[in-house]
Amino acid sequence: MGSIAKIHEMLVKKEISCTELTKSYLDEIEKSNGTLNAYVCVTGDEALKTAAAVDKKIAAGEEIGLLEGVPMTLKDNMSTKGIDTTCCSKILTGYKPIYDATVWEVLKAQNAVMLGKTNMDEFAMGSSCENSCFGGAMNPFNENHVAGGSSGGVASAVGGNIAAYGLGSDTGGSIRQPASFCGVVGLKPTYGAVSRYGLIAYASSLDQIGPITKSVEDASIVFDAIAKQDKRDSTSLGAVGGETYSKLNNDIKGMKIGIAREYLDGVRDDVKEAVLAAAKVYESLGAEIVYFDLPVLKFALPVYYIIACAEASSNLGRYDGIRYGYKTAHYTGTHDMICRTRSEGFGEEVKRRILLGTYVLSAGYYDAYYKKATDLRGTIIKAFNDAFEHCDVILAPTVPMTAFEKGHATSDPVETYLTDICTVPVNIAGLPGVSIPCGFNANGMPIGMQLIGKSFGEAQILNAAYRYQQAAPEQFKDTKWGVKL
Amino acid sequence: MVTREDVENIALLSKLFVPEDELDGLTKSMQEIIDFADAINNAPSSDVGFDNINNLSNVFREDEVVPSYPVAEILKNAPEQAEDHFLVRNRE
Repeated sequence: MGSIAKIHEMLVKKEISCTELTKSYLDEIEKSNGTLNAYVCVTGDEALKTAAAVDKKIAAGEEIGLLEGVPMTLKDNMSTKGIDTTCCSKILTGYKPIYDATVWEVLKAQNAVMLGKTNMDEFAMGSSCENSCFGGAMNPFNENHVAGGSSGGVASAVGGNIAAYGLGSDTGGSIRQPASFCGVVGLKPTYGAVSRYGLIAYASSLDQIGPITKSVEDASIVFDAIAKQDKRDSTSLGAVGGETYSKLNNDIKGMKIGIAREYLDGVRDDVKEAVLAAAKVYESLGAEIVYFDLPVLKFALPVYYIIACAEASSNLGRYDGIRYGYKTAHYTGTHDMICRTRSEGFGEEVKRRILLGTYVLSAGYYDAYYKKATDLRGTIIKAFNDAFEHCDVILAPTVPMTAFEKGHATSDPVETYLTDICTVPVNIAGLPGVSIPCGFNANGMPIGMQLIGKSFGEAQILNAAYRYQQAAPEQFKDTKWGVKL
Repeated sequence: MVTREDVENIALLSKLFVPEDELDGLTKSMQEIIDFADAINNAPSSDVGFDNINNLSNVFREDEVVPSYPVAEILKNAPEQAEDHFLVRNRE
C-alpha cells in the first residue's frame, strides 16, 4: 500500500488525527532539515489550520477524499498565494504571489496539508540542486551526496519521509533525475496534461509539473488529481489518456518494452546492469523486450540546451527590479538599475543560460542554432513516434550515474549537462516518463530507470511501473529519516 | 568562435553586466558550450519541421470582462510604488 492510501486509512480509522500526523511531520522537519536542507520555507501554521479542518470533518462523520489531510510539499517555483515563492533565487527575495498556481488551487480545495516549499536549483536550472541560493538539498540515502536537481528539495523531503508526496517540475529531467538519485518515484506527465498556470516559467515549451512520491500508486493518485484542463493555460489539455489509478495492476503479458541501444551508451556499468536486470524482471512477467536504434538521440542534449536557454532568455526578461523581488540599492539610471538588479540578483548558471539563449536567438546565429534545433525537435518527435510502432513503452536509465558527492557538479558546465542525456529526449518530444528505483550501487546509492510512454500514455507506463514495483519490492527501500507510517 | 566582444554584446542585449575580470572566463565557457551545441550541425537535414507539441490550434474565446487583481495587492510586491503605480526612478 502506498503512503497516501495508508495515511487515508489511518485518518479514516481514527488511528491518528490529522493534527497529530501533521505535527509529527513538522517535528521531523525540525529535526532533519538542518542536514537535508529540503525545505526553504516551512508553513506550519497554515498546515495545522488545514489539519484541524480535516479533523473536524472526520469527527462530524463526513467522508474525506484520498488526498485530504495528507501532508505534502511544493517545489518553490509554484505560486502560493501569500507564501514566499522564490525559485531559490535572490532576485525573487520576498516575493509573495497574489494568486495560487492551478495545481495548488486544485490540491488546496481537497484539503491537502502543505508543510512548506522545497529547495531547487535556481529557476530550475541545474542537476544537483546546488545552484540554489539557499545551498543544495542533500540525499536521504547519504547526506554527503546531492539530492539531484532541479527538484532536489521535493525528492529529498519525500525520500526522507518529511513529506508524504510533493510536486516538482520537469523541463529536462528535473522530476525524474532527483527521484532517481533519492530512490523515489517521479512522474513527468505528457506536455499539456497538467496546467502550468502559476508555475514560474523556465522553458515554456518543455516545462511540466508532476508528482514525486514513495510509490507508483501515490504517483498515480496525485497525477489523476492534478491532470486537468485549465483555461488559464492554453496549452493544457488535461488527462486525455483517462485516469490511471484504476488501471494499475493490469496484466502486461505480451507488452512490448523497447530498449533503444543509444540510451545505454556511456551509461555507467552498475546503472546499465540494474536496468538490464529490470528488463529480465519484465520478461518474467510476460513482457517482450525489443531492442532498436534511435540514432537521433545523440542530438537531443544540444537541442535541449539551445531551446531551453532560448526560451529562458525570453522568460527571465521580466525580472527588472520594478514589479517584484530584488532591486539593486545603488544606480545611476533606469538601464543601469535593471542591469545591476539582474547581475546581482541572478546566480552564475542562470546568467550563463540567459547569455547562451540570447546568443542562439541573435541575428546571425538564429538559423544555425535555434532554427536548426527546432527542426531537429520535429525529427526527434518523429523518431519516437516511429519507435512506438514497434513497442508499447520504452525502458531506459534515468541518469547515467548515481547521486554524486556534493561539490562535484559545479566544476564543468558541459560535463554537468551530460547528466541530463537520458532525461531530455522526453521533454523535447513532450512524452510522459516515470522514474522508479531499480537497484543500488556498491555504496548503497539508489539507481533509477525510466519508462517512457506514448503521448498521454500515463496509464500504461504507471501500470508497467507498478507491476515492476510488485515484482521487485526490495528496490523500494526506505531511509532512516522522518515519519514512519 | 565566441569572442570577448560577442559576450559583451549579448550581455548588453540580456541587460547583464559582466565584470572585466570575469569576461575571459565567461568567453571560454561560452565557447565550450557553443562547441558542444555545434554537434547539431552534423545532423542530417530533414523536412519534418516543428510547430508545437500537441498540434494545438489557437484557442478562441469570447472577450469577456472579468474582475482583475486589486491594484493594491499587486503593488505590495513592488520594491517602490507611488499613487497606485510602479515607481521607476531615473536616479536613486
